[in-house]
Amino acid sequence: MNASGIKTGLGAYTALFLVFLYGPLVVLAILSFQTGPEGGPQFPIIEWSTYWYKHLFGLTPPSRIAPLPIEQALVRSLGLAVMTMIVSTVLGVTAAQAFRRKFRGSGVVFYLIVLGMMVPGVLVGLGMALVANTLGIDRHWWSTAFVLHVVYTFPFAFLVMLAIFNRFDPSMEEASWSLGVTPARTFRKVTFPLIFPGVLSAMLFAFTLSYDEFSRTLFASGRDLTLPLAIYGTFSVEVHPNVFAFGVLTTLFSFALLGTYAALMMLSVRRAKRVAIQEEA
Amino acid sequence: MSTVLQLKNITKTYGDMRALSGIDLALPGDAYISLLGPSGSGKTTLLRVIAGFEHPDGGAILFDGKRIDTVAPHQRGIGFVFQNFALFPHLSVAQNIAFGLENRDVDPVTDRRVVDARVRDIISLVGLSGLEGRAVTQISGGQRQRVALARTLVTEPRMVLLDEPLGALDANLRARMRAELRAIRERCGVTFLHVTGSEAEALAMGDTVLVLESGRIAQSADSDTVYNRPASPAVARFLNCYNLFQGRIEGGAFVGGVGRFGLGSAAPTRAASPAYAIRYDRVSVRPREAAIAEDEIRIEANFVASEYSGAAVNSFFALDDGRVFEVESHLSHAAPETYAEQGRYALVWKREDALVYA
Repeated sequence: MNASGIKTGLGAYTALFLVFLYGPLVVLAILSFQTGPEGGPQFPIIEWSTYWYKHLFGLTPPSRIAPLPIEQALVRSLGLAVMTMIVSTVLGVTAAQAFRRKFRGSGVVFYLIVLGMMVPGVLVGLGMALVANTLGIDRHWWSTAFVLHVVYTFPFAFLVMLAIFNRFDPSMEEASWSLGVTPARTFRKVTFPLIFPGVLSAMLFAFTLSYDEFSRTLFASGRDLTLPLAIYGTFSVEVHPNVFAFGVLTTLFSFALLGTYAALMMLSVRRAKRVAIQEEA
Repeated sequence: MSTVLQLKNITKTYGDMRALSGIDLALPGDAYISLLGPSGSGKTTLLRVIAGFEHPDGGAILFDGKRIDTVAPHQRGIGFVFQNFALFPHLSVAQNIAFGLENRDVDPVTDRRVVDARVRDIISLVGLSGLEGRAVTQISGGQRQRVALARTLVTEPRMVLLDEPLGALDANLRARMRAELRAIRERCGVTFLHVTGSEAEALAMGDTVLVLESGRIAQSADSDTVYNRPASPAVARFLNCYNLFQGRIEGGAFVGGVGRFGLGSAAPTRAASPAYAIRYDRVSVRPREAAIAEDEIRIEANFVASEYSGAAVNSFFALDDGRVFEVESHLSHAAPETYAEQGRYALVWKREDALVYA
């Protein structure tokens, strides 16, 4: 095959990839503008409207379709994701820091940590439920499910930080020590600012993985549902376009999160450059 | 001069590799000491052991008379300048330099004005004025070198370790920085221990030159002594200016692969194995038929090639046993000679000029 053929082939592949990536989302977004309350979750669009968005916020007159029972679940999921993000990132950074030096049993510990993201979620969730029942512990999203979320996301944060530390030049820390600065202060003043972009990535991973975690949470969270469970619950009755409207809103929220991440990244990368530009101006 | 740093029988092994096998040395205060060693001789390891980044397996390190081998690096008060400079990329030039003053554990300077004044002083000392606000990623290699040096000197250590500090600079800049490093050190009055793999750099910089060879100090002397009287064949080989012959001493002569060399009046230097060394620039090249004087040694060899370097020309000859023999002719008083390709010439030197090891 010649070069232009390869180019066309790769172009077509990329286009297909994008269609499969965004196609479902686009369909969802279109159907969320179906008229209500009589319009259903399928084509054709009877009439364009923002009825289901209003319905989501309880701004429509009462109808036979109950509002999505997600308000509590959303708060829970956000809370859980934030808690998981903080704990997993702290654990990930400290564990990766420990792995910069070889220690006895480091190989075993490495695989133990990484196992957390390898084992099937449903099994771990079920196992946690059994353990909790046996020990007489109540299952809650903030206890048993939280522990499982940390076990699941910690390896991701850990691997991200491991990669960051791999490229980190330890002589900068040694330089700081040789200037009389304690290792603790060196970590705060030298190491941490330099690994900060990696920490942000680890936080993003932990947050998003926890926010839409389903299988582990299913058995481990007890009575109070998290957002993915609550949405799944509504499917078992009847699907209305209000779920799609909600999907669009959470996607926008995710994009906002990514945007914040990108902005923070750019700030931390550009800081040094800006100093130089001011100097020359 | 008082001793500032003393090492006693320092050893360090990595797995099966002996990096340092019993280092003993005493360094004077207020001096420029260069530590010369081929790559793999343990010179960086030695520096890192002194700084506290590596722990020695055995031996004692005394700094200002106190044992420091169990003291953490940040409590030793010894500065370190890295080959890659290891500047903090998230800080500006001035912030890099102020870092140690503001953040050190012992006696940190909290007064903004004092910090600024001291940073300004050191910046003008190392010649970085006008670059204070620059990012360290936006300055040249030579400037980075100065920031690394200023960052260490501003904390006023008693001693600064420099790990191949000129290795990352280009040749022109390296020559300029040599003189500057010496001048800066004299103004600060600290001891510099400068590690290098370049014999020219070590000889040019050091008040004292230490030669490290397979984890041991092979020689410790001033530049002139090291250059003219290397303590062992290994040191002579590493100086890159001696033709060396292996052989044995027999009846008042050295017997090597290409003949018998009569010995001069000086007693042979003690060494592990006999060797004979003649400096490149002590040898003259003559036509085969030319006569030699009573006190001269003569061998024959085939001309291979020569290399012109401006002030001198180095000619390479193949000896009858296949080894290469190098002759350096200085051109200050003579035009370069041209030798015939593969031509056979006599190589002649004075008996007294050779160094003999036994």
